[in-house]
Amino acid sequence: MPAQPEVYDEVAYVYDGTLEGLLSAIFAAYANREDPSDVMREGVMQPRLSQRVSRIETDVAHADRVRRGLCRACGHQAFSAVKKAALSAREDAGTAAYRFVRYAMDSQKKRDCARCRKRATCSGAQGRGPCPKQRGRALSDVTHPAVEPLFRIARAVDQECEHMRQFIRFEHLTSDEADVWFARCNPRDSVIPLVMGHFVERFSVQPFIIYDENHHLAGVFDGSTWYLVRTDDPATSLLELPGHAADEAAMQQAWKRFYRTVAVESRYNPELRRHFMPKRFWRNLTEMQEDSQALVVKTRS
Amino acid sequence: MDVADKLEILADAAKYDVACTSSGVDRAGKKGRLGAASSAGCCHSFTADGRCVTLLKVLMTNVCVFDCAYCSSRASNEGVVRTCFKPRELADLTIGFYRRNYIEGLFLSSGVMRNPDFTSELMIQTLEILRGEYGFRGYIHAKAVPGTSPELIARLGHLADRMSVNLELPSSESLALLAPQKSKRAILAPMRQISESIAEDAESRALTRRRTTVYMANSRPRTTARAFVPAGQSTQMIIGASPESDYQILSLSAALYRSLSLKRVFFSAYLPVNADARLPSTDAIQLNREHRLYQADWLMRFYGFEVGEVIDEAHPFLATDVDPKANWALNNLDLFPVEVNTAPFETLLRVPGIGVRGAKLIVRARRQSTLREAELRRLGVAYKRARYFITCNGAYAGSGVEFSREALHAALAAPIEGGRHGRRVDKALPGQMSLFDSVSTPEKERALGRGRAAQERRALAGVNTGAGTAAGAGAGADPGAGAGAVAEPGRADAARGAGAQERRLIAGSRRAKPTVEALF
Repeated sequence: MPAQPEVYDEVAYVYDGTLEGLLSAIFAAYANREDPSDVMREGVMQPRLSQRVSRIETDVAHADRVRRGLCRACGHQAFSAVKKAALSAREDAGTAAYRFVRYAMDSQKKRDCARCRKRATCSGAQGRGPCPKQRGRALSDVTHPAVEPLFRIARAVDQECEHMRQFIRFEHLTSDEADVWFARCNPRDSVIPLVMGHFVERFSVQPFIIYDENHHLAGVFDGSTWYLVRTDDPATSLLELPGHAADEAAMQQAWKRFYRTVAVESRYNPELRRHFMPKRFWRNLTEMQEDSQALVVKTRS
Repeated sequence: MDVADKLEILADAAKYDVACTSSGVDRAGKKGRLGAASSAGCCHSFTADGRCVTLLKVLMTNVCVFDCAYCSSRASNEGVVRTCFKPRELADLTIGFYRRNYIEGLFLSSGVMRNPDFTSELMIQTLEILRGEYGFRGYIHAKAVPGTSPELIARLGHLADRMSVNLELPSSESLALLAPQKSKRAILAPMRQISESIAEDAESRALTRRRTTVYMANSRPRTTARAFVPAGQSTQMIIGASPESDYQILSLSAALYRSLSLKRVFFSAYLPVNADARLPSTDAIQLNREHRLYQADWLMRFYGFEVGEVIDEAHPFLATDVDPKANWALNNLDLFPVEVNTAPFETLLRVPGIGVRGAKLIVRARRQSTLREAELRRLGVAYKRARYFITCNGAYAGSGVEFSREALHAALAAPIEGGRHGRRVDKALPGQMSLFDSVSTPEKERALGRGRAAQERRALAGVNTGAGTAAGAGAGADPGAGAGAVAEPGRADAARGAGAQERRLIAGSRRAKPTVEALF
């Protein structure tokens, strides 16, 4: 047990950027009896004035305890929100998750079980544990300053997932020994683990790879199961890609022509297109690969 | 001509069909089969006009024996290159696009080649290749060609997820004028057939699923037949090619939702593609009118509004300067302000600036904390608009603007950020000179004239509808009307309340709701 911290002692926790790391940091805050003012990923941390920085080692056993405790007290949706925060690119995501867990665990009030119908079978009866009736309450208190940041972050990550489901474009690659569908993407948050299920469900007939350029992470589906591959050195890992299949160029061409054709010139509204399909995704979209001249509808004369 | 050329021609001919949704059916993926569908749908791309591309929207063929005035593929257009997909070509293209995650599925429409039955046979062949041979589980939207025999529609319905028959125009008179080969019967008969088959199919499915009878087996059947049009039916009509008023259009779509249980009615602003004496000779596309109609449509489908609340016969066009919900609120100020911390969900939905999402969040958040301005802003409610109509914990938030119809109308109709926000064509400020708004077309005049006559008749009968008129006298025709309403001296609150109540009574007395056949 470390000594009681001083009144103005400010501490920041740094974790390795994984979900387990974040949960370990939350565990450490309770174990050390500290209240870190920042919980941040490695690399984005900038200590404040007179702030102590403490690096938290990832411990899977600790992380698992936090996960179980959070699910039991606040429900799996709260845990899912924390998971999304761990995948988020925002710098304050870790802090938001930590603040939320603190608040959610603190707000578990002792309830009077005397008149509850389930008092005989309840796991939390007579103060033995959290009340199941209050499980979803913490996350639904959306306007609370401890909940709102996490709520927003989780919503932003959900939005990025939807963008990936919309804008991932596969290319058919074949060689003598390989036959694979390959997609590049550049999501802001590291959402590949969250969207792999969606693609596995609908493309279970084709082995595919989704490669995240920003986070150097690849989701690989081999025809039966899917897994994640970390490719921190992109130079070595992507050299082995086979070439395009025979009909790939024709299909891409057909799609581009279709895309250009279905626009109605007299309703031209590029602001609306950018709103729905932000420009940061364009470089990996097949239909936007054309030279910029062809994409601009000829001046509305 | 190769497949890509055909695709370009047939997609070009299909692009004026606005319906492009892949929603309404949830179908999980299956191991070893391609495709799945989710009920929210998914937009895979957005074209330069900001519309989404979710389905591969093409015609089977643009050969057409019909001669509809508004259509680019009509029989009398001679310059058009005519072509037709082979069923195999189109199926292969769909699968190729789908596997690359370009699309959610296929939207198959068609011109009429030889006769409606022959065309439908071609469409059925395509869908059978997709569903049977490729085991495709993605989304398919099929159009029923008016005049197709019921047996073919039944087959098509078991292959597709959604079907639609286009009404094309909001009344049968306009249809007879502009699309002489299509008749009211040929359009409404398949719609009714599809609607009845959906209900029947759902019912028989429920019987096999639940143990509702003692004599039927408890287990589900080994091989399940494909459901009939599980994502429901939709339709589309062109706005602005014929003289119908918004009132007629919305009444018709309300009847369609009510009696044929349609999932969607699409509105398509008329685009001049052909020169024809029967068509309006204007180049201005009524995009704003289309937008307002969709807003009204949403109010009816998601916000619990009756068509009579959104629009009435005396004011047959929707207001152009404020949206239909704000307009309703301005006409019913006696119901406002509402207390956000206690008002029921249905009431919150009717507050301008609070949508379905905002109302749900409010209900969720207020269980645990009191909502004030800061909390509402954090929830993502459009507080700037909502504040005139709510109290937060007893305090009225819209102070600074008089709580009267005219003052609030001016506050709500003011352009966002002084007109710097949003679509470029809207950047003209109200009051600035505009060349096109004041042009009054004969159809506007006619519809307006009818509206005025009705108003006068009502006035003679001694019914006072004056107080809560919908956004000035000539909402659809005259942009100055909004300004006029602002300049009008305000009336007493009591009179307004009485007027609103009276209107509600009138709406209540019209209980007998007209059928689609009567309205179309």
